Amino acid sequence: MKKYLIILTISFFTLTLWIGCSDFPVDEDGLLITTNSECYISNFELLGSDMQTVRTGTAIIDTTAQTINVEVKYGTDLKNLWPQFSLIYDAKISPKVTENVDFSDLNNPKQWTVISGNRKVKKTYTVYITVQTKP
Amino acid sequence: MKKYIYFNLICLISLSMMITSCNDDDYSIPTAGTQLQNDCIKRSLGPNVVGLNIEFAYAMALNENEGNIVSAQVEASIAGASGTYLEHRSYYTDNSGLDVGVVVGSPSVTTGTKTEVTFVKDTCAATLRYYYYIPEEASGKEVSFKFSATDSNGNTISYNMGPYTISKMEIKRDIVLSDNENMYLSIADLATMNADAATSNPSKVDLVYLYRSYSSVNFAHALVSPANSEYLTDITLPSEVNNNSPLWKVEDLQDRQLSDLQYGIYVDDVDFTDMDFTNAPNYAINIKAETGIWVETADKTYRAYIFVNSVDATTKSMTISIKRYKMK
Repeated sequence: MKKYLIILTISFFTLTLWIGCSDFPVDEDGLLITTNSECYISNFELLGSDMQTVRTGTAIIDTTAQTINVEVKYGTDLKNLWPQFSLIYDAKISPKVTENVDFSDLNNPKQWTVISGNRKVKKTYTVYITVQTKP
Repeated sequence: MKKYIYFNLICLISLSMMITSCNDDDYSIPTAGTQLQNDCIKRSLGPNVVGLNIEFAYAMALNENEGNIVSAQVEASIAGASGTYLEHRSYYTDNSGLDVGVVVGSPSVTTGTKTEVTFVKDTCAATLRYYYYIPEEASGKEVSFKFSATDSNGNTISYNMGPYTISKMEIKRDIVLSDNENMYLSIADLATMNADAATSNPSKVDLVYLYRSYSSVNFAHALVSPANSEYLTDITLPSEVNNNSPLWKVEDLQDRQLSDLQYGIYVDDVDFTDMDFTNAPNYAINIKAETGIWVETADKTYRAYIFVNSVDATTKSMTISIKRYKMK
């Protein structure tokens, strides 16, 4: 009986150790790499320096053409905008948004790349901004 | 044998823990001292700004059989500005939460740094409030206070408060800007100007106020730097009014001292020094009430926080309050 108990205990500890030491894959940002291959932006927000939205309406996201079209209010300071992206779960975006972004060069729209949860699919979105005009 | 020793030891520890944890501490209501005693609290919160006051409540008492209070005095390390006084009424809070004042002395007399109230009522306990109006010479310095009381036996007791740092920033409230009239704002003067005054002092004009109403865009109330060529196209500025003042619009920064004590946020000296105006625009349109603007003058002498108290589309005007910090 005592022998079985010892075997059971050793097996339990081995199992615990195996589970505890098993590596889940993470990427260079420490984010979990999953099996999800979906890769798209589901929502887009654009904030001014006062952290209020500058959109006049909802941003139009075309996941096939990989574009985002958004109209901003008249008088928006295009040099200091903070974009926010909602992504499919497990995905991430590059480059990261860590400060205000300068959108003032409307002829060279900004681009962001969405990377899927399995880090194997990448889709680059282009953000086109138009400014509301005064009548 | 060893087993029994361990068992007994555990029982002993458990028993002693039970006894200790269940033992009630003896308590008795503290007895008030018979000697003259005092205490003080600072009632006002936030930065200490020149022109505003610091409020204290000074309590003093002695046993009713030991005599009465004859005087109370406050000595500030820097003489207070005009309006500094020590209440001659003692306040208590009634059941409705209202402060009720009872006259206990003659109105306070201030001589230099000292403010004194002489008691006229036979009282053995009182709480007097002290309002120290911060003088200009205290700006950027520290000020401390010595509260003292004397009883009929000649005993004197004192209580020290502080030191308190006085902010370097200045404050000006309720400045009214109006479209086409007093539309020029000078941070250096903390005042508005009309076209004539702006013509005489073009270098002092930091911002121009305008109100415009368009059918499909939100412009409404705006503060624009004179150097901005896009939003002042229909205004002919006086000659040489051309300062370029960077500014940031901000929401949800309702400073308590600028908003008539409505909110619990304070803009302080450090906020001005930490502000970064790199890449800041020089205009703010569609300004709403209770929002704010950080601005730096073109010569970088001043930084200011402008809080918009109210806007009025009918009179095309805006009421603002300003905190200003001198950078150099």
